[in-house]
Amino acid sequence: MPYLDWPLALATLGLIGIGLLTVYSATSVPGAHQGLWMRQLAWCAIAFGAAWVVAAFHYRLFDTLAWPLYGVSLLLLVAVLAIGTTKLGAKRWIELGPLQFQPSEIAKIATTFVLARFFDHARLNLDRVRFWLPPLFIAMVPFALVAKEPDLGTGLSFPVMLVAMYFWAGMPPGRLLLGLSPVFNVALFFVTGTIWWFVGLFVALLAFARPRLSLLLVMLALNGAVAYELPHLWNHLHDYQKRRIETFINPDNDPYGAGYQIIQSKIAIGSGGVMGKGYLKGSQKALAFLPMRHTDFIYSVVGEELGFLGALIVVLLYGVVIVRGYRLAAVARDGFAGLMVVGVVTALFFTILVNMLMTVGWAPVTGVPLPFLSYGGTALVVNCLQIGLLQNVALRRREY
Amino acid sequence: MLAGLALAGFVLVLLGLLRLQVVQHDELQRLAEQNRIRLDVLRAPRGAIRDRLGRLLADNQPSFDVVFRPMPAESITRARTVVRSDWIQRVAALVEDDTLGVRRRVAEANRTGQTAVLRRNAPYAVMAAVEEMRPDLPGIDVAVAPIRRYPEGTMAAQLLGYAGEINDQELDQRQAAGYRMGDLIGKTGVERKYEEVLRGQDGAEFVVVNAMGKRVSTLREGPPRLPVAGHDVTLTLDLDVQRAMDQAMAGIERGGAVAIDPRDGSILAMVSKPAFDPNEFSRGISFARWQELSAAGGNPLLNRAIQSAYPPGSTFKVVTMLTGLRYGVVRPESHEPVACSGGYVFGGRRFACWDKRGHGSIDLLTALQFSCDVYFYQLGLAVGLDHLQSTARALGLGERTGIDLPAETRGLVPDDAYYDRHFKSGHWPRGVLLNLGIGQGELLASPLQLALMAAVVGNGGHPIRPHVVRSIQGVPEYHVDKPLEPGVETDPGIWDAVHEAMRRVVEAGTATSVRLPGLAVAGKTGTAQNPHGKDHALFICYAPADHPTIAIAMVAENSGHGGSVCAPLVAQVLRRVFMGDTLSAAPHGARPDSLAADTTGADVD
Repeated sequence: MPYLDWPLALATLGLIGIGLLTVYSATSVPGAHQGLWMRQLAWCAIAFGAAWVVAAFHYRLFDTLAWPLYGVSLLLLVAVLAIGTTKLGAKRWIELGPLQFQPSEIAKIATTFVLARFFDHARLNLDRVRFWLPPLFIAMVPFALVAKEPDLGTGLSFPVMLVAMYFWAGMPPGRLLLGLSPVFNVALFFVTGTIWWFVGLFVALLAFARPRLSLLLVMLALNGAVAYELPHLWNHLHDYQKRRIETFINPDNDPYGAGYQIIQSKIAIGSGGVMGKGYLKGSQKALAFLPMRHTDFIYSVVGEELGFLGALIVVLLYGVVIVRGYRLAAVARDGFAGLMVVGVVTALFFTILVNMLMTVGWAPVTGVPLPFLSYGGTALVVNCLQIGLLQNVALRRREY
Repeated sequence: MLAGLALAGFVLVLLGLLRLQVVQHDELQRLAEQNRIRLDVLRAPRGAIRDRLGRLLADNQPSFDVVFRPMPAESITRARTVVRSDWIQRVAALVEDDTLGVRRRVAEANRTGQTAVLRRNAPYAVMAAVEEMRPDLPGIDVAVAPIRRYPEGTMAAQLLGYAGEINDQELDQRQAAGYRMGDLIGKTGVERKYEEVLRGQDGAEFVVVNAMGKRVSTLREGPPRLPVAGHDVTLTLDLDVQRAMDQAMAGIERGGAVAIDPRDGSILAMVSKPAFDPNEFSRGISFARWQELSAAGGNPLLNRAIQSAYPPGSTFKVVTMLTGLRYGVVRPESHEPVACSGGYVFGGRRFACWDKRGHGSIDLLTALQFSCDVYFYQLGLAVGLDHLQSTARALGLGERTGIDLPAETRGLVPDDAYYDRHFKSGHWPRGVLLNLGIGQGELLASPLQLALMAAVVGNGGHPIRPHVVRSIQGVPEYHVDKPLEPGVETDPGIWDAVHEAMRRVVEAGTATSVRLPGLAVAGKTGTAQNPHGKDHALFICYAPADHPTIAIAMVAENSGHGGSVCAPLVAQVLRRVFMGDTLSAAPHGARPDSLAADTTGADVD
């Protein structure tokens, strides 16, 4: 297979290998999770098979099937809200006999297909409302459904993916940033407590983007409305309503759930130092101080046992996956393939970043697993499917 | 460009790693070795509940709990060798729980680092035993936490509801809202409906502990988060009215009653019998006691005032009368074609009047005054189903009233669609109308709906929204929602006729036991046929008759005629409310059967 992207394949295999070893270590303590690494190994076989199948079909098949797949995944997202299994206060799972899966993962891929298909047809004309507006809806419907589960961590990958694909489809960065300005507006208001930071940023943005008068006026009105209403709305809410919103944005905001996990994660990573305590020798992990150590917080076990060097190797491998991925987008044969690759890689990158920043204490605890490393069968299969899609494009990049 | 952004993200991760693993390494290393960190929850006090004059109905008191505190790391290993293998059994025996429950709570505590409550509100003997055995049982400790106190005991118990420890199912559903094992949560009544307002927010602090689990200092990183107290809630309830009604109904085994202000829908009192003591629940209740309460003894947890639906019986004749007048079918002085001879023949079947002797040929006002069935059979037939059911709904029957309490019943007012479902479509017998006209048949209404009906009739058809919360501390613009029932807008003359007829029921009709000196009362008695046993007694009224400030509905299950059972009890309530009478004759209420003998006037339906 001369056209397989070997660095991408090897980096993925390396990550899965490290994942298996770490799951083995994290579950080596006597307890309920002992021996889970064997199940993860079995899932690996399935995941490789799935990736192989996905790489074998021509990606134009996904172009053709994009809308039906998207429809099915939306139905699944509605179904999960109705009949899903509640775990840790959120409905994210559908149970099929012994199997459980998260429809949000499938929706991510299907949404990528539809967005890629749409942008592929619309890319030359992003000035016009009927070309730039529909993608917003395509991404926001699954986002809203996933956020309602609630799973904001996963849900946010939809808008993030969308922004990257707008960019790849040819939307000028200035205009893209201007379009995002209401988001910055809200975020800056909550971080700084005044609107003046945003006003400064907005002026700079205008100077950079130099929009047409109509766009300028629309954005000015939009941001004006946000800036005027936001403090009003917020101050109008009662304490318990504010608390509810805070809980929605940051589901585990309470200090004695997630706060405990974060502190234990930081202690585990920090005590690992540069060289680590050695494989299988982590004490925090062994004493069960680190909750969810084989799933969401697996990177903390890497940090504790393998130290900064081990954690660095993992980051480098992820770097290879992501950078090779984006490079593939540039060499892809056609518009659909390039857009699809950008969507897939961005979603993957966002998940990786959110999880890693969470374990070092710089992002909220949102229940997002670490791709390829965390224990969990369906997540592994889906992540390998994503790699399979990338390889699919790689295999056909010289096709004429 | 995208790849560049991605690299920037990864650099951020590396910076995070460097901060922890190089800059803060020594400090975190030390914490890891001694570990260490325990999380102490600072409990937020739950908001108090008061009556409309600020008299306390629910607040908090300290409870002494037996708890398990997760142990510091190195002492777990040490403890494994020291602790005797029968730790679980001994702890379970101490807190009088099974080993499975203790094991589960301890495991959860170890997983989350939180303290687990093993026995809430432990009695003194258990506390003493814990103190004695503590050196032998590492991890076991005594902690103080607030629990709920209901100073009035069984008074308005179903309306207030109770707050108890969160169960697994609730925890699963509400974890996202920040609930934790061991939290208090409102289970029923106001405690449940206003849970979000009452709850407040627990605080927490991370403390560094030594090998024995003793607190050494608070953690520098992550300053304590202070608890935020819940909001106090003031009810529309008037403890005086509530107490009067409670005592009047002391002899009723099963039943419900509601007093409402016809001017604004404020609930003044709500009684459901049998009652329970919510304090039992906040102390923690045994499974056997729970079963005893929920199954046997007539299910005291059920709020009969809003959750049980009864046939309204003759109280519904007020609706039939109003329907006839408002749609021009009858006039106050109208006589029906067939005079009452103790019964009425329709479709080859004889429908009896409650008074076998018959009422003769009477007008509408007199028919209501003496509750003549034969008159209302014919009126029911004449007004028809559509008009009858729409008037009933306009007065708040057949739909939820929208009261701010959980699990309200809709009751039942049958309409065309209902009968089409139950009979062959379009072929239901007109005989059902006879029964509806006198409030029998499929009709069902809760005491709350009956009180609302009496109130809306009393205030001249203005819709009101029944509600129990008057204000919430810290919520200045709290307001009551709009009424759900449309009310009845019609000619004032029609209202005068209805009001006059209900006045006569009390003055010289079926409810003369409610005749009070100096207070004009308008009312209507009722008896609901009960296929499962003795009839239910009902009474509705409002007073003072010209400008009502209170409307009452009372239902006593399986106790006979409304005029003989409920009316005298309602009279006691009114005497107490309007005349400050202290029920000297019967401090714990009067038995209905003894009262029946005293009743002057007709002891009839």
